[in-house]
Amino acid sequence: MVSKRFVLKRLLLLVPVLFGVATLVFAILHLSPGDPAKVIAGQRASQAQVEAVRQDLGLTRPIWVQYLDFLTDVLVLNLGESYIVQRGVPVLTVLRARLPVTLELAIFGQLIGILVGIPLGVISAVKQDTATDHFARVGALTGISMPIYWSGPLLILLFAQFLGVLPASGRIGSAFDVPVYTGLITLDSFVYGLTTGGWDAFASAASHMLLPAAVIGIYGTALISRMMRSSMLEVIRQDYMRTARAKGQGAKITVMKHGFQNALIPVITVIGIQFGTLLGGAVLTETVFGIGGIGTLLVQAIEVGDYPLVQGTVLVFAFLFTLVNLGVDLTYSYLDPRIDQ
Amino acid sequence: MPRDDTVNRRTFLKAAGGAAAGAALAGCAADPDETTTGSGGANGSGGEETTTGGEGETTTGSEDGGSGGSGQVLTWARGNDSGTLDPQNTTSGEDVKVTNQMYEQLVMFEPGKTSLRAGLAKDYTLEGQQTTVTLREGVTFHNGEEFTAEDVVATYRRFVDEDYEYYPGDSYVSAYGPFTLGNWIENVETNGDYELTMQMTQKYAPFLRNLAMFAASILSKKAIQEKGQDLSKEPVGTGPFAFDSWDTSNQRIRLTRNEEYWGEGASVGQVVFTAIGSNTTRAQTLDSGDADIIDGIGAQASKIIENSSSARLNQADGINVGYMAFNMAKVEEFRDKKVRQAVSYAINTKAIVDTIFKGIAKQASQPIPSNVMGYNDSLSPYPHDPEKAQSLLDEAGVSDFSFELATFKNPRTYNPSPLQAAQTVKSNLSEVGIEVTINQQSFNPFLDYTSAGKHDACFLGWMTDNADPDNFFYALLHPQVDVPDGQDWVSFDTDGYNTLNSAGWANADYMSLVEEAQTTYEEGARRSNYEEAAKIAHDEAPWVFMDHARELRGVHSRVEGFTLAPIGGPFLANVGLSN
Repeated sequence: MVSKRFVLKRLLLLVPVLFGVATLVFAILHLSPGDPAKVIAGQRASQAQVEAVRQDLGLTRPIWVQYLDFLTDVLVLNLGESYIVQRGVPVLTVLRARLPVTLELAIFGQLIGILVGIPLGVISAVKQDTATDHFARVGALTGISMPIYWSGPLLILLFAQFLGVLPASGRIGSAFDVPVYTGLITLDSFVYGLTTGGWDAFASAASHMLLPAAVIGIYGTALISRMMRSSMLEVIRQDYMRTARAKGQGAKITVMKHGFQNALIPVITVIGIQFGTLLGGAVLTETVFGIGGIGTLLVQAIEVGDYPLVQGTVLVFAFLFTLVNLGVDLTYSYLDPRIDQ
Repeated sequence: MPRDDTVNRRTFLKAAGGAAAGAALAGCAADPDETTTGSGGANGSGGEETTTGGEGETTTGSEDGGSGGSGQVLTWARGNDSGTLDPQNTTSGEDVKVTNQMYEQLVMFEPGKTSLRAGLAKDYTLEGQQTTVTLREGVTFHNGEEFTAEDVVATYRRFVDEDYEYYPGDSYVSAYGPFTLGNWIENVETNGDYELTMQMTQKYAPFLRNLAMFAASILSKKAIQEKGQDLSKEPVGTGPFAFDSWDTSNQRIRLTRNEEYWGEGASVGQVVFTAIGSNTTRAQTLDSGDADIIDGIGAQASKIIENSSSARLNQADGINVGYMAFNMAKVEEFRDKKVRQAVSYAINTKAIVDTIFKGIAKQASQPIPSNVMGYNDSLSPYPHDPEKAQSLLDEAGVSDFSFELATFKNPRTYNPSPLQAAQTVKSNLSEVGIEVTINQQSFNPFLDYTSAGKHDACFLGWMTDNADPDNFFYALLHPQVDVPDGQDWVSFDTDGYNTLNSAGWANADYMSLVEEAQTTYEEGARRSNYEEAAKIAHDEAPWVFMDHARELRGVHSRVEGFTLAPIGGPFLANVGLSN
């Protein structure tokens, strides 16, 4: 089982990882061309004005001083203020507003992937080499091969433009102004519905979530079902499965009780890794569907040279990714007590 | 399972996943064409096209939107969220679209035109070095304060006076402070609550137009004192719409009708500005009825709107110019007029405008478009004539000539396909034996590169601030420093050099015409100065004049009374929605 010592050790390992990421991002940003002061001051500013802004931002200090300041600030969770994208606003505040947007997308996408992918994989394995199996496998291959910037617009074209049943972009209709509790719009509008009895906002938020979640989910479904199928096939051939059948246990019970849990272990790994990829995939999905999560935020910040914002966003990405991995490792030992941490 | 084994496998998986996420990010960052709107400043009253984003404060609104009458919600979709709501804090056209709904200026632009009308000033006169203004009475700010001359003084001082108690700091106020007001105003004096006199540093004809710019929006003195830099997220103006909320997680700014408005007041109850990064998705959102008006429309998006049964495409001439500047300070060959003319003849600008910019731009012959005073009708664009170009080059004795063309990568309003345009320039010039290498950059380092004069030649452009010819002629082609006698170019290193003059051009005749026009108040005389200056610019060809882009908006069929305003807008108070 999971020992506290193991968790603590893994958490401590976060420190060098984040330090490395922070250093890398800082170096890349400051070595690449472009001057945020020029962007802030604008095309009409005189050289003196640009210089004043540079001074103000502390960009005139030696690079190693800036680096040390940056590191010490990060230690006390001070990620600085955004230069341009949201001028003068602390990076943590910016991220607090945007992170839930991306997380919500990733969670719903993941849910679709798990809820559809796992049963599909199991069925595919149990009915190996039948028409159902072939169909599922071709479907999975198609799903993996479809890039988001292609499937996204296609779904918008079909459901929003031709059929007109789902909205093309955004997270909720512009008539709705739902109070922010968690930042997860479906949850917030649900709470809003509970408290006011007006469910239109929730319906709007849910319908806005369908297409982007489906787009993210397609890839997840494909990946998970493939993994589930091959892992299940492997387990089915194990001796203990045959033994279970031999002692007279029904096929269904054998598969579900003895096979499923054991087959799940590699799938969990994929789901964990997949979650990190989802965060990356969210960048594309957010762009296509006009959703302002940290993906679009990062791209925008890179384009204009908003150093503190880029640094902050990448650090948060790295942090989340490592955390998810830790979660995956902990799940292993739950599923297979033989795995000793 | 042995411990080492699990660690290794996990490490591998982590690395693989990280690489996948990284690749996905990189893939997205490398494909900016689709997402960039190139629409900043599109609503006119100037502003640069810097892309900016949202704001930190998450606001919690309370009202549920309804439908019909005063509860109607007008939705404007654009490429990016605002970066700030303070007109003194921005250089971005994206921000200005929103602030123009809440703030007003002393003098304002007529909707859809370039002419001026009375705004918060009832009367205004510019005589000699003095501007006298009589203010409108009975106007209140959104915070309930009455509008008086004190507010104008506070607004001015907050923008340009470092000694003012409430000056928000050098890096907070935008460069528009000195550019619009500070350089021209000596001091402002009040005479009672509703009279103002502005003493000027010199005679300056475009001054009233500067007063109409977004940057000259009038702020509330009380709000200045109470809010300081917080005005960037809690605006207080006098306009037809007041601020309601800014929901950054949905990139959405909500404004409500100002019921106390001094004028006619808005038709709709609310305006919502929302951001949708992808041009095509934005157009599809309009088509499906979830947005009422959209901007930032490229060729593909305009096709979607044209094919839509529920939306239409509105067009108007923009007040902008796109060009290729020769850097005469750096490249000796370009100091010869014949070479510049030869290049102008060799480049097929008509093909660039018609086929690459897909007809959403007009070919240019001079620095200003035809809707700006002083446009010279007798000039026509350089025709595509490689033979003439070749003979001019021969006359100049230039052979084996090569140069680097610097360009930005992402579309801008005045140059919607910079890379394709650069490729055309390259192939056109190879026909006359000039070798061009293309140096493409993001707009951010690109501006640095060109303002330091590092380019041989570069693509650039300009969106007007105030629709005055001076804002093109003086801002873009006048060096604004002394020039050595008999020399028609000047080095970028000269102290105080106007780095916006990316050609390094310094033609004495042109300069004196433009300077004279700047201090001439009689319109006829001023106009003829600019016509003459336009002719000199055309003949001397410091730029290859490329295009004047058209302004495009997608408008849903239920929208009534929308006028596409190339400057000063959008005027959303006049817009209604049919059910």
